[in-house]
Amino acid sequence: MRKYLTMARMGIMESLHFRLGMFVLVVGNILYLTLIYYLWKAVYASSGTDVVNGLTFKDTLIYLVLATALYSFMEMYTVWEIGRDIQSGKIVLDLLKPIEYQSYLFWSFSGSLIVHFVCVFLPTFVIVFIVTKGGIPLGMNLIWFLISVVMGVVINFCIDYIVGTICLFTESIWGINIMKQVIVLLLSGVTIPIAFFPEPFRTVVYYLPFQAVYNTPLKILLSATPTLESTGWMLLVQFFWCVVMLLISRIFWLVSLRQITVNGG
Amino acid sequence: MERKTIGFYLKIYLKLIAQDIKSKMSYRADFIISTIGMVCTNIAGFISFWILFQNFPSVNGWTYYEMLFLYGFSLIAITPVQCLFDNNWSLRINVFSGDFIKYCFRPINIFFYYQSEIFDVKGLGQLAFGIGTLAYAWYKLALPVTALMVIKTIVFLITASLIMMAMQNAAAASCFWIENSFYLLDLAFRFKDYAKYPVTIFGPVFRFIFTFLLPIAFIAYYPSLVILRPDEVPVLSWLSPVIGIVFFYISYRIWMYGASRYSGTGS
Amino acid sequence: MEPIIQIKDVTKEFKVLNRREGIKGSLKDLFSRDYKIVRAVDHVTMDVMQGEIVGYLGPNGAGKSTTIKMMTGVLEPTSGEIRAAGIVPYKNRTKNSQKIGVVFGQRTQLWWALPLIESFKLLKDIYQISDEKYRSMLDLYQSLVDIEPLLHKPVRQMSLGQRTLSDILAAFLHDPNIVYLDEPTIGLDVSMKSKIRLLIHALNEQNNTTVILTTHDMGDVDALCRRIVIIDHGKMLYDNDIENLKGLFGSYRTLKIRTDGDMNKKAEGIGAEFPDLSVKVSEDDEWISILVDEGKIKVMEVLHQLEEKEVIRDMQLDEISTEDVIKKIYEGGEA
Repeated sequence: MRKYLTMARMGIMESLHFRLGMFVLVVGNILYLTLIYYLWKAVYASSGTDVVNGLTFKDTLIYLVLATALYSFMEMYTVWEIGRDIQSGKIVLDLLKPIEYQSYLFWSFSGSLIVHFVCVFLPTFVIVFIVTKGGIPLGMNLIWFLISVVMGVVINFCIDYIVGTICLFTESIWGINIMKQVIVLLLSGVTIPIAFFPEPFRTVVYYLPFQAVYNTPLKILLSATPTLESTGWMLLVQFFWCVVMLLISRIFWLVSLRQITVNGG
Repeated sequence: MERKTIGFYLKIYLKLIAQDIKSKMSYRADFIISTIGMVCTNIAGFISFWILFQNFPSVNGWTYYEMLFLYGFSLIAITPVQCLFDNNWSLRINVFSGDFIKYCFRPINIFFYYQSEIFDVKGLGQLAFGIGTLAYAWYKLALPVTALMVIKTIVFLITASLIMMAMQNAAAASCFWIENSFYLLDLAFRFKDYAKYPVTIFGPVFRFIFTFLLPIAFIAYYPSLVILRPDEVPVLSWLSPVIGIVFFYISYRIWMYGASRYSGTGS
Repeated sequence: MEPIIQIKDVTKEFKVLNRREGIKGSLKDLFSRDYKIVRAVDHVTMDVMQGEIVGYLGPNGAGKSTTIKMMTGVLEPTSGEIRAAGIVPYKNRTKNSQKIGVVFGQRTQLWWALPLIESFKLLKDIYQISDEKYRSMLDLYQSLVDIEPLLHKPVRQMSLGQRTLSDILAAFLHDPNIVYLDEPTIGLDVSMKSKIRLLIHALNEQNNTTVILTTHDMGDVDALCRRIVIIDHGKMLYDNDIENLKGLFGSYRTLKIRTDGDMNKKAEGIGAEFPDLSVKVSEDDEWISILVDEGKIKVMEVLHQLEEKEVIRDMQLDEISTEDVIKKIYEGGEA
């Protein structure tokens, strides 16, 4: 465990060194959120009703702002990293390390995950809470939310890892990565809340693992009338995806590795 | 030695691009997957757009087809940046690894030399997608097809491209100063998604910012007005070609200044 | 004749960020940064004449690359003046580029995915080389090395040696006044090294091109340079003929031998026999190494004398390294 913590610590220090990067990230997100605010304000203003698909403007906004914050803290560009390791042949060295590559990657990213959670998500959360004058319910849901976020991170990482594994075959980092990014963005409900999706599109999306990354934690957090039953059910589904994705990513990686001679190795 | 002419640069450019395309073809799998990725991006973008309009029939007085026009317009406008300035994405990596130094030893403009190294063919798919969308919206809006309209559209498309290029150049050049410039570049790239909405939806402060500081309103909104709402074209629309050139020039200077500061890390 | 490169009292300083240690330090760095100034090149002055090959030596981090970067116009000196081929390099980088060729480290400047001949054609256009000159240059290359198999091979498929060779050819293609070669033989095997040395020598002679060569390899210096400049910690330590250096400090070589029996005892015996030479036993007790000053006694002679008494199982001859030379210069300066 100690070695993992050391790696996490290194990751934290590295991200802190990127001072300007951090600043840009925050400014960028503020601008981005402003865009979201005005766009949806205009959209609601034009619709003539206050509630669309069960969501008010305020609900939608809180959801989207937090989704964006979650996204910018979870998106760690893991696929790029794996792809680059593969292309440069560095992966051979990583494979020789006394830690399994998947855990190695996860733990080295965990450091920046923590930094981003504290520096990006928490401030956003507090600001949203203050601005909306308590628009986010506080209670047990916070605990369930945190658990759900951790599972979301794991599922997201597994998706990245599976996509990264494909790079072993194609050596096409950009193409693979961009495909993953747009698909995840759309189907996980980061750009548009899943509630707005027309049927049967919506039902299909609910059966995919992507919504478990961002939509589930947010739903748990924001639900106005949570029941233990519904929360429990959502967490259970998420847990199911966690296990399935972990298995798939692990197996896919091992099978692929056996078939591939590494570039430049 | 005589000054190098535009003809000289054009000749070099075409040759470099031809070579780049040739070498891209030698990585065929990558080429095909990247193209599919590009198509996916466009389809996903379109789906988000469509979902939004499933719920809301109009935005701020703009109908679905008018918005579609803006959407297609912005897609075409970002194609040149995609095709011609794609090497900006690698700038950060080149600068940190020290490989950028190799661009410093050629007797031609370094900005030109750097950008001419890559031509991104897959951007052409986006162009086709954009033209299709624009033509469809044009047809549905029953806009007249006259020579003047087409010329106007082309001129303003070029304008819009210049702005997009300017934003990307400036964002990419930031890597000469800061370490993690990827975020900036990614940000500039993300902005293009919002360029397709009418700037009137924003409050006055942001309308100012998006018009004068981060000129994304010029990517689709102001130029499109000339075509879509010929009766209420603000002066800014007519000024946009000038603004495009000015912003592009500024970004070019920033880029060049950064390159001149480059000291070449490593060994 | 006017020197082709004039460097007058040039200094280059860099601002380096002091990073603090630990998580607390990182947090501090987030809010304030303190810089220290490092002087990479310290009042360097030298003139180089057209057609010279100058060996520019020094240990890692001595300031070699920084000097080269200033000469090529990539960096602007903090103070002092540089003129190369009549131009102030950093003020007119583009014009300067036309007059120089550069092979920088192991970074190829050729187009990675293209066959060499395509790279050459592009360079022909970029440097506006006339057809005539281009053809005569290719003919010259053909006469010096067997380039035919290289021409149609993409650079990425070349071995390091082939790539270096190609890079050197590309650097000379537009017949520049000055060519800067940074560690051209690093990482190459012996036969490739000598091939490249011969090539550089021939190209220098053909067109009377000035060559500035930085290297760690005394072999390069011996084969190519008449004059060497040594720099350490940014300061110039030495600028003179290589013969002069040898005269000053002798031409040292290390002879290593392996014999039967107890090495330590043997070494003592040899030490008694050659009181002028320093005799050491390697740490693993495998070799006896004898530092021979060839100005005083030839290595062959030492070997010959030894052979009469000992059974020499194995021997090696090591050239003195740049680092050793610099150490010698320091010692000599103090003495």
